[in-house]
Amino acid sequence: MEKVVIIRYAEIHLKGKNRGYFEHVFAVNIEKSLKGIRHELRRQSGRYLVEGFSEDDTDLIVSKIKKVFGVHSVSVGYKVNSALDEIFSAAEGVADKDGAFKVETHRADKKFYLNSPQISAEIGGMLLESNPKLKVDVHNPDFVINIDVRENGKTLVFSKFESGADGMPVGTAGKGLLLISGGIDSPVAGHMIAKRGMKIEGLHFHSYPYTNMQARQKVNDLSSVLSEYNCGFTLNVVSVKKIQEEIHKNCNGAYMVTLLRRFMMRIAEIIAERNGDQCIITGESLGQVASQTVEGMTMSNSVVKNLPVLRPLCGFDKNEIIERSRKIGTYEISIQPYEDCCTVFLPDYPIIKPKLEDVLAEEAKLDVEGLIKDALSTLETVEM
Amino acid sequence: MIYFDNAATTKPDGDCLKKAEIYLTDKFYNPSALYAEGYNLHLDLRSARENILSHIADKSKYDLIVTSCGSEADNQAVFCAGRRGNIVTTYGEHSAIFNAVNEAKIRGVEVRFAKLNADGSVNTDSLLSLIDDKTSLCSVIHVNNETGAVNDINFIAARVKAINPRTVFHSDGVQAFGKIPFKMSQNIDLYSLSAHKIGGLKGTGALIKRKTLQLKPLIYGGGQEGGLRSGTENVFGIKMLEYASGKVFDKINENFAKINAVKQKLCGLLDKDLFTILSSEDSSPYILTVAAEGVRGETALHAVNDKGLIIGTGSACSSNEAKRHSRVIEACGVDKKLYDSVLRISFCGNNTSEEAIKAAEILNETLGELKEALK
Repeated sequence: MEKVVIIRYAEIHLKGKNRGYFEHVFAVNIEKSLKGIRHELRRQSGRYLVEGFSEDDTDLIVSKIKKVFGVHSVSVGYKVNSALDEIFSAAEGVADKDGAFKVETHRADKKFYLNSPQISAEIGGMLLESNPKLKVDVHNPDFVINIDVRENGKTLVFSKFESGADGMPVGTAGKGLLLISGGIDSPVAGHMIAKRGMKIEGLHFHSYPYTNMQARQKVNDLSSVLSEYNCGFTLNVVSVKKIQEEIHKNCNGAYMVTLLRRFMMRIAEIIAERNGDQCIITGESLGQVASQTVEGMTMSNSVVKNLPVLRPLCGFDKNEIIERSRKIGTYEISIQPYEDCCTVFLPDYPIIKPKLEDVLAEEAKLDVEGLIKDALSTLETVEM
Repeated sequence: MIYFDNAATTKPDGDCLKKAEIYLTDKFYNPSALYAEGYNLHLDLRSARENILSHIADKSKYDLIVTSCGSEADNQAVFCAGRRGNIVTTYGEHSAIFNAVNEAKIRGVEVRFAKLNADGSVNTDSLLSLIDDKTSLCSVIHVNNETGAVNDINFIAARVKAINPRTVFHSDGVQAFGKIPFKMSQNIDLYSLSAHKIGGLKGTGALIKRKTLQLKPLIYGGGQEGGLRSGTENVFGIKMLEYASGKVFDKINENFAKINAVKQKLCGLLDKDLFTILSSEDSSPYILTVAAEGVRGETALHAVNDKGLIIGTGSACSSNEAKRHSRVIEACGVDKKLYDSVLRISFCGNNTSEEAIKAAEILNETLGELKEALK
């Protein structure tokens, strides 16, 4: 009796002639997520089977696979020879100790001497006999035992379905650059886009020594979490210290955030184009803070020349974002109380609805090209 | 790199490490073991405790309980001596006392805090007015770890005992031991110290206890440290504490004068337009606390670090404003504008005037630049 993990995929089955490509990327991503754990991955009529692993690694394997985009659900079960006594042992292994159950059988091997209802009835009967605390309820069972008689003389037996991350395999929908701050929103935005199959990398702006090392580490930690969903994660880090100092020195303080964000978008586009990223992703949510008004977004968007800027959280309430953040495991990291660069030099009254001519007038006081060049010279890259 | 954050920790003394190394190799035995190798270590530790103790206390009247750190010693004082009535302490205590008495409060003991003077020393009148016949414990820090203010604990203990002779008097001496020339009077019942502040190792502290004081353990087990602190003895750590304290006490007066000169030098060279000196003139020579208005302490710390100077700060860079400044600095009545900007510069016996000159240069230059940038 061998323990196996059964993986079912999500949207891929809707694909037509290019389905093979999606399946290939999906399998590669699963292999990446299980790197370092002994296992074998096999494709079996519309699903994948992980086998040949040590039983001690079961929980680890399940937790890793649940984070791979494209996985709809995961079950832990047993693979046995297609013989009634072996199927029964496996069924006992996956069954709860008490409660109401039903057995559902799927028989691909039409040569097997019992048909599906007969197998269900046999195994159900054996279970009832062996454990008096169990009863059968085919309409409202507490748990279902699934038996899948395969054509190769093997049978899969499993019970519980655990939900996966759904979505599309990362890498099937291009590449994007996520602006990641250390707050709650940006990791969620990155997660949402990666879920649609886009491979993301990160760009973080710091302002050391005005921001500290813990704030920087926080972004590394968030990137590590994202890397589990994203099959790796490249984090680019750029210092905007000098830009902030120059804005502070030369411009109206109320425009600090507006001007800074314009610099960030310009730098992002340069790095994105250099790295072959096809879009910029931000965690902006409409109206959440002063710079995230539609006017504010217009100001920062207007410096981006070629790439689309994706803002997947725009229509979300803070609570909805927090809920997602908790679910993907970034919330506890995000709420560590270290400041990001946007709160240094923060004006008491930032401009909420900036006008382009005013912004341009403020920006004219700065050597924009020189400052961007200077900031790019501080670029560091970390692979997660 | 100039290291001026010795109040946080000091570099372990190389000579002492060499001398103590044998306790990690040949003399590795359990001091509680019955065979000669173990028993000899037991005797060795007994004399080590006496040697450490004798630097500041009469060894016929006091015992030394080795603990894992100064915080543990403080916790034992609070939870084992302050079990009923009320505890009187100050707003200037280290978190090891402050948070422990707040926990004691949750467990049902009344806690009273004495006010501070502007330099961070305790206001003695305020303290004495809080002592009554129900006061089980009075704890006053010897040298304030944030401002360097020195409390005359022998004097304070005598006044406390005059009001209530049954009150147990404890002092946290972590920043004083081996630095401030001092002998414990018999009015002091308990005194905490830590090894890594004087060239010893992290993981070793001690609680000095008057022999006739009945105290309960915080940690129960095999009965080591006279039953007051169980756990197999940290032989290497204890020997390091013995050697390191021997070394610092040999030169305690000499170093006191020397480091005072280093501190005065640095203090004199700091640009007074940039820095407000918070430590008083009679504070510990080993701690100089200043504030550079308008520049966050942590920003200054990182910026001088990049130029080769390590110092400490009185505050953490938290986005939560209430948590950003120190409660001790606030209790001193320091101007609110300076809360975020406190820097703690702290020395050890090896520091020199040359280092002070260089440090002053770095501080003046860096803070000048930061202030300009943030103007």
